[in-house]
Amino acid sequence: MVIMDDYGKFETAWCPGCGNFGILKAIKQALVDLDRSPDEVLIASGIGQSSKLPHYLRCNTFNGLHGRSLPPATGAKVANHELTVLAVTGDGDCYGEGGNHFLHTVRRNPDITMIVHDNQIYGLTKGQASPTSEIGMKTKVQTHGVFNMPLNPLSLAISLDCSFVSRGYAGNIPHLTKLIEKAIQHKGLSLVDVLQPCVSFNKLNTFKWYSERVYDIEEPGYELNDRVKAFEKSLEWGDRIPLGIFYVNEKPSFEEHIEVLESGPLYKNIPKTELVNKLIDGFI
Amino acid sequence: MATQLVKGNTAAVIGALYAGCDCYFGYPITPASEILQEASKYFPMLGRKFVQAESEEAAINMVYGAASAGHRVMTASSGPGISLKQEGISYLAGAELPCVIVDIMRAGPGLGNIGPEQGDYSQVVKGGGHGNYKNIVLAPNSVQEMCDMVIKGFELAFKYRNPVVVLADGVLGQMVESLQFPEVSVKPEIDTSWAVSGTPQTRENLVTSIFLDFNQLEEFNYEIQEKYETIEEEEVDYEDYMARDASIILVSYGISSRICRSAVDQARKEGINVGLFRPKTLFPFPKKELKEIAGSKECTFVSVEMSNGQMLEDIRLAIECSRPTSLVYRMGGNLITMDQVLERIREIAAGEE
Ligand SMILES: Cc1ncc(C[n+]2csc(CCOP(=O)(O)OP(=O)(O)O)c2C)c(N)n1
Ligand code: SF4
Ligand SMILES: [Mg+2]
Repeated sequence: MVIMDDYGKFETAWCPGCGNFGILKAIKQALVDLDRSPDEVLIASGIGQSSKLPHYLRCNTFNGLHGRSLPPATGAKVANHELTVLAVTGDGDCYGEGGNHFLHTVRRNPDITMIVHDNQIYGLTKGQASPTSEIGMKTKVQTHGVFNMPLNPLSLAISLDCSFVSRGYAGNIPHLTKLIEKAIQHKGLSLVDVLQPCVSFNKLNTFKWYSERVYDIEEPGYELNDRVKAFEKSLEWGDRIPLGIFYVNEKPSFEEHIEVLESGPLYKNIPKTELVNKLIDGFI
Repeated sequence: MATQLVKGNTAAVIGALYAGCDCYFGYPITPASEILQEASKYFPMLGRKFVQAESEEAAINMVYGAASAGHRVMTASSGPGISLKQEGISYLAGAELPCVIVDIMRAGPGLGNIGPEQGDYSQVVKGGGHGNYKNIVLAPNSVQEMCDMVIKGFELAFKYRNPVVVLADGVLGQMVESLQFPEVSVKPEIDTSWAVSGTPQTRENLVTSIFLDFNQLEEFNYEIQEKYETIEEEEVDYEDYMARDASIILVSYGISSRICRSAVDQARKEGINVGLFRPKTLFPFPKKELKEIAGSKECTFVSVEMSNGQMLEDIRLAIECSRPTSLVYRMGGNLITMDQVLERIREIAAGEE
């Protein structure tokens, strides 16, 4: 049986009180609850405060380029689809610099769980607006306030027919843990956008601000596979902010389209040299 | 003229404002983010344009767009961000567009760290993107030059219709020194002879890097090579600190050249005949001048750089390997120390080579 200690204990470089601690705890708890041992898990990340998370877990980790958590996660999943693959990223990393990868990973639908630490700011570079920063928010670069429309990750994902779309909150760890568990169990790409207070640079979207607004989406009659209803729900933002699973569409994952993977992951499936030789013979 | 204590990164923005730069496109990255921040503060204040882009590729392509329209445009970044800008820089060079790119180098390869290094030398001086092109590269070594070389950069960018890179590093960006503000401020004006600004005068102009006809593209390639030759003849700039009469010549640019200068002073006190040759332009590289020095007497050259011999190659080419050369270097975000340089000087002086 897997226990929390298996995932290790580490000093972190995060600010005291940061929402990232809640997300780390929830991810760890979810992996333990699902009895996934560290050697079965790969966490890929980009660059940002959020993307430091793999450094604080004892499992297979990959800390890559800014904006590029998803392509290496996809590569690793293709190489060994028996791994539980998580991509940990930030709002700037995933929706800005790596926005293109987000769109195309949703289309491809690999069995990866995306956890986006959405603090509505660039934390690591000390507080510039991110793609999800609110209109009017002042920063040291947006001195007159943000005027670009914030990106709505959930609406975007639903419009692209992402196979699992959800939102969690770093201030509600038990809820977030359950959400991550379901996201990991889901076969296909699952998005968990996590509201994450950045106590140092985002003075607008604080723990208090979020706590006063969030509520659980689970209500009788909410159908998880109703895309239009889910889209409508995803537009709700302001005085009330829904949390939970918005949309699920079970469909074949990327790996399932790759025939060669049917007989097991690539590392067990060393290509047969006879086949290569036969092909070469055909050339000469 | 007014003098004030400012940071190197701020000085670059002051230079841009005096040079008539009217568009800034950037994306945050340490240790260059302050340029973005300062630009975001001053550009709108003066009715100029500022955009924080969604990525470095977006920023450099915004530069492409605004430069095509004839504006005086700047962007800045650091190592990983400059790598991403390379696709756009190749297109800017191919379309012969002026712009200034400031690179506040950090340590690599890959993500590396935010410490100072000079490891971008090759990617910036040798082109970096695809195709037969060159950037003009200026290398400041003080806060004053951070400002002055951005101004000079705009001058050269427009004179030759070519991208100019101001190649600095994390220390120069953070360093606070007194800055003497420029005497004159350039009024941005659009050159209607080539720009496409949507006016009747510029209707016939075409900005492009596409030449589907092989012969036409070949001809264009020859033309830009001629331009680079002219730049090599006319625009070389360097500082000679007792190098002409020295038998040991340190060659160094940027922050390491300041450490070298102290080492030269110390070694001279010890009676060692050493000097410093500091290229202020890395392309054009002061080839002729180094060759002259090499030909004038017995001497040895030492490349002092915070990279793995990237400039050393150019020194050897310049002097046609006619004299001994060696390398004093450090990488990974740590500064070269004066002792490190002195040690090498003493070794050479003692004939331990
Ligand atoms: C190519 C490149 N560009 C820029 C950076 C600088 N950079 C590092 S993290 C980051 C943004 C981080 O924002 P986000 O993804 O929201 O993460 P957070 O720190 O807020 O968790 C930036 C711009 C970089 N490391 N590499
Ligand atoms: S800067 Fe913000 S996101 Fe980063 S560790 Fe500190 S509080 Fe957390
Ligand atoms: Mg963020």
